[in-house]
Amino acid sequence: MTSNMTRRDFIRGTAVAVLGASAAFGQNAAAPLKKTRVVLIRHPDALDANSAFNEPVIQQMLDEAVSKLLDQSDPIEAFKQLVKPEDVVGIKTNVWSFLPTPAPVENAIKRRVLDAGVNEKDIGLDDHNVRTNPIFVKATALINARPVRTHYLAGMSGCLKNYIMFAESQPDHHPDSCASLGSLFLLPQVKGKTRLNVLCALTPQFHGRGPHNFSRRYVWNYKGLIVGQDPVAVDSVGLRLIMAKRRKELGPAQEIPPVPKHIQLADTKYGIGTADPAKIELIKLGWLDDVMI
Amino acid sequence: MVFFAMRVSRFSTLVVIPSLFLLAGGAVKDFGPQIPKQVLDWKASGLDAIYDRKTLYGYMDGGAEVYLAFDFREVFVRKYADAEKNELVLDIYDMGSPAEAFGMFSCDRQDPEAKIGQGSEYGPGLLRFWRGRYFVSVTVSGNEAKAEKAVLELGNAVAPLLGPDGALPEMIKLLPSAGLRAEKTAYFHNHVHLSNRYFVASENILNLDERTECLFAEYDSKNGDSGRLLVIRYPDADKTKAAAASFRKSFLPGADADGAALTDNKRWSMIKTREKVLAVVIEASSKEYAGRLVETIIRPLK
Repeated sequence: MTSNMTRRDFIRGTAVAVLGASAAFGQNAAAPLKKTRVVLIRHPDALDANSAFNEPVIQQMLDEAVSKLLDQSDPIEAFKQLVKPEDVVGIKTNVWSFLPTPAPVENAIKRRVLDAGVNEKDIGLDDHNVRTNPIFVKATALINARPVRTHYLAGMSGCLKNYIMFAESQPDHHPDSCASLGSLFLLPQVKGKTRLNVLCALTPQFHGRGPHNFSRRYVWNYKGLIVGQDPVAVDSVGLRLIMAKRRKELGPAQEIPPVPKHIQLADTKYGIGTADPAKIELIKLGWLDDVMI
Repeated sequence: MVFFAMRVSRFSTLVVIPSLFLLAGGAVKDFGPQIPKQVLDWKASGLDAIYDRKTLYGYMDGGAEVYLAFDFREVFVRKYADAEKNELVLDIYDMGSPAEAFGMFSCDRQDPEAKIGQGSEYGPGLLRFWRGRYFVSVTVSGNEAKAEKAVLELGNAVAPLLGPDGALPEMIKLLPSAGLRAEKTAYFHNHVHLSNRYFVASENILNLDERTECLFAEYDSKNGDSGRLLVIRYPDADKTKAAAASFRKSFLPGADADGAALTDNKRWSMIKTREKVLAVVIEASSKEYAGRLVETIIRPLK
């Protein structure tokens, strides 16, 4: 069960566990609390004037983010902390046609997994077929990469929702605003294997409309990546970004998308990570214009 | 659904021409031959497709529940492409009744009226309208500006095929008209749609489901009065009482004897019920105005 949160709680600022308190979010508290680290990195040249992805810049962003995440000066050394040469690595991407995981992000991850010594034949990239893809079936390590966007049922599609393709039945996870998504990380094929989560905020979608819940009007060039080892914390940061953009573009009444309760429950019910912003150390790197969080 | 049966019955006493039924709201597959295969530079590409309640998941990839929460029956899909591979997608949804078609349309209105069908809106890359028991969308992938004229032309070609017009949900008559922003009124059934239209609570504290009928309306009067009004009709009075108790406990624990409370943003909320109907006002500019809105809803049931 999740604790109910109402619009009144949000107005009152007592909805921290689910949505976070804007003023305090990401700041270092005085209490000596071991926080979950999440890195937000942005670069003004991640997309060009025509909104085409700049792969070298995206590689550089991923490298810097993962290095900072793991306190390493060299990105390859950082990736060597994430995967070992003997690992079989599944890169869980997202192929949703309107806003897929950008190929440069996939390429950047794969390149560093190779640099860390993993054989190419032991690296897989998949979305819909992860339950049967041989690489994913025998994977010893998973890397989770997808764009951040709003979702009509779940409130937000992020790293937690990206694992729904590991479910035997996807519709089984739709009731109650997709409340059970955190349980996916406890499936035998997944449990304990996720080494890195890359929530692509290069072109986030802050509102959904139309038959497929997508309209380009609600996508903006934020040019960021949100990177962490904890998918719950990464999604919690992603949610703050979506809410900040909604507040700016749609007004306070529409700041909250349908409440992504699955983020809180992934923490409080399934115990797979940290949703509470007070327990997240958000490190911001690079370009800070209109960073919003 | 009942309403639609009445419409057909009444219509059939006036004019019984089988071919007219084909033109006036038949199975969505029958629309295929009547819809133009080319609109300006865009030509039909690929095969037309039809999805029903069982197969809609294969088309929506995660969004099917939005339609299944209404009385959705089936959807006709045709894609068009131009030489630069910009794409238009025409979706014609049979929503089972005019009320349900209006509901589907009403939950997501943000753009200017396009004067197509019984109600419409158009913004870059997206045309939405409804007529009779059909809800229609035309979406654009690619150059949205170039596609605008074709999108509107396609919509205007489809709308006449969907007739006759249908009636709005009967519940809408309950809404007081003074200060009503009619273009913001939404009709729906369940918690998912409420949360998308206006977040009230993370849990389903009003016990909404496919059997409840809901209206969400916004008021903004010239004299400064404003507020949001949620009206729900439950299957029976016991369910109404239970929902009211749940809402009071979660949302208005400090409500006074009138069912009203001042919230932290200095706005008023109020709840009242009578028989099967529950009325909630949220973020009203004054207690007096909240009371007026609620009483207007409840009074006709006397």
